Amino acid sequence: MNNEIIKVDNISKSFNLSAKQRKARKISEKTITAVDHISFSAYEGEIFGLLGPNGAGKTTTLRILATILKPDSGNAYINGKSVVDAPFDVRRQIGFLTSEVKMEEFFTPDQLFGFFSEMHGIPEEKCEERKNALFELFGIDKFAQTKVADLSTGMKQKVSLVIAVAHDPKVVIFDEPTNGLDVIMAKVVTDFLLELRRQGKTIIISTHIFSLIEKLCDRVGIINNGKMVVCDSLSKLTEKESLEELFFRLYEGGEVS
Amino acid sequence: MTNGIWVVFKKEMSHFFGDKRLFFTSVIMPGLLIYVLYTIMGSYMSSMIKEETESFKTAAVNMPQTVELALLEYNFEIEHIDRNDIEKAKQGISDGDYAIVAVFPDDFETALSNYTPDESNGSVPNVEIYYKSVNSNSSIAYMDLVSVLDAMEDQLNNVFDVNNNENSDITYDLATKQDATGNTIGMLLPMLLMTLMYSSCASLAPESIAGEKERGTICALLITPVPRSHIIMGKLASLSLMALMGGVSSFLGIILSMPSLMSSMNMAGASDLISADVYRPSDYIWLMVLIITTVLLMVTLISILSTLAHSVKEAGTLVMPLMMAVMLSSFASMGMSSGEVPTAAYLIPLYGTSASFSGIFTFSMNPLCVLLNVCSNVVLSGIGVFVLTKLFNNEKVMFNG
Ligand SMILES: Nc1ncnc2c1ncn2[C@@H]1O[C@H](COP(=O)(O)OP(=O)(O)OP(=O)(O)O)[C@@H](O)[C@H]1O
Ligand SMILES: [Mg+2]
Repeated sequence: MNNEIIKVDNISKSFNLSAKQRKARKISEKTITAVDHISFSAYEGEIFGLLGPNGAGKTTTLRILATILKPDSGNAYINGKSVVDAPFDVRRQIGFLTSEVKMEEFFTPDQLFGFFSEMHGIPEEKCEERKNALFELFGIDKFAQTKVADLSTGMKQKVSLVIAVAHDPKVVIFDEPTNGLDVIMAKVVTDFLLELRRQGKTIIISTHIFSLIEKLCDRVGIINNGKMVVCDSLSKLTEKESLEELFFRLYEGGEVS
Repeated sequence: MTNGIWVVFKKEMSHFFGDKRLFFTSVIMPGLLIYVLYTIMGSYMSSMIKEETESFKTAAVNMPQTVELALLEYNFEIEHIDRNDIEKAKQGISDGDYAIVAVFPDDFETALSNYTPDESNGSVPNVEIYYKSVNSNSSIAYMDLVSVLDAMEDQLNNVFDVNNNENSDITYDLATKQDATGNTIGMLLPMLLMTLMYSSCASLAPESIAGEKERGTICALLITPVPRSHIIMGKLASLSLMALMGGVSSFLGIILSMPSLMSSMNMAGASDLISADVYRPSDYIWLMVLIITTVLLMVTLISILSTLAHSVKEAGTLVMPLMMAVMLSSFASMGMSSGEVPTAAYLIPLYGTSASFSGIFTFSMNPLCVLLNVCSNVVLSGIGVFVLTKLFNNEKVMFNG
């Protein structure tokens, strides 16, 4: 087996609910456990998929990996660096993405790429080189000097993907990569991920779409209610049944509730 | 990676200078607005004064020569009418033909010349003046006439004089150029400066912090390996510089519109003693240091509130109490000279600053007090940066919702 690049070791995370949130959810508990003792690993050069229904804890898990949230207990490691103890080392090695495009619209792709490279301390020549290559690869080069606000939705999507990997991270964390995208945009994103895998990146995505997992992932973890239900390679899991059949068999068997 | 401060600073500034609309609304507009507003105000005031210098058409019955002579100085135009025409003349006030109608009794002059101070017999001659209080021309004429008559009455009863030394050129008003300038400017400018600085800061910081939170762009910034304290310092430095530019623009607006405002004041009889060159260079240096540190503090405070807000709109609501504090503290120290404010009070943010401004403008500045306030600004901003860093590191504050 390849190098273990992502190692999640028994992490848990709960949130305090405000009175307003409790009312909205019609529950009386003051805290909600979003991630409940989850462990798994992802290996170099593979795409790992976290599969689960709404509220399963996918986003929370990925945010812990991206050092946005701190786990209440347990630890996670990116390329051997702890997200709890060495968040800055982790941040240098990860790119974090969501399907929602969030960029400062005033700037051009060129400026944004330069800005995030600088924030990561990338030397200027290296930044130029990488920018030219990536912009050409994704057809952004013609729009490099156009303000993001004036770009088409598809182009914005591409720009946001490229900027998230401006610093050439070893690991890419992508929450719901195709959520809310039309078929063309979804293809842009999946092609992007496949290209990254070709480049040898380790990728972890979250989704509730079976077909996306089947199309992209090497390994899958099914989570529900904050717990890891099953975690194995896609080929092993789908030896006897489809992913969907597996999911619902577990669901009806009470393992996924 | 101290470089991070510079990278964030550079980005914010390039946005500021690159965004023509932002630059216009936060730098060009405040100054332009003030300039235009004050110039219009100035010319409006002068036109009002011109109106006032129109002559007062007066219909008079039995007006004595002495009164008529005294009124000449006030630009009265006297038309002597018959007692029978009084009603017609009164109608003339409504029609705008006359400003006032003054009716003196037939024996007015004889009564005056027979008057002796210690005699206190019941009946005295009565002068009737008809006027229309809602008409400014009419009411001014009325007041002028009454004051002339009062002066005459006083003279009949002359026991002592005040400042009546017509043949020597003694100046009784001992106000110097400094006093006049200090008084006028010391009242107005601190409040103006405080509010201008505040509004500059408040128009920029919420957009840059709550705005980034609202649009979700802050997340990308926070997962870079730049320490959050550096991100904050980069933002605060750039915001302060922008706010200062807005402040300078407003200030220029004031200075440039001063001539027109001042000339109208001078026409109104205000002293022409007011001038900006009575301040020493050290005054200007203190002023600059005060302004810079205050802007830094204001930006920091507004940034803290913006960080707590989920949206620009919410930030706008959260900073309201701060605006009240700025207004109140500049109001409380209005026109105060240094001695009137206890030294320790200069440590109070905003209030101490406004008091320091007053001190500088009224020439009663105590450098120690101003220094105290500057230090307090710097220390509080430092604490603010610390608080901001805590907030930026708090996942509930930054990523909830
Ligand atoms: N900041 C928060 N405060 C309170 N509760 C939260 C917070 N973030 C997440 N939760 C709750 O934690 C649980 C897991 O949320 P999470 O977003 O990780 O689920 P998810 O698998 O990503 O779901 P989805 O498919 O809807 O994105 C949910 O019940 C969610 O409501
Ligand atoms: Mg989610």
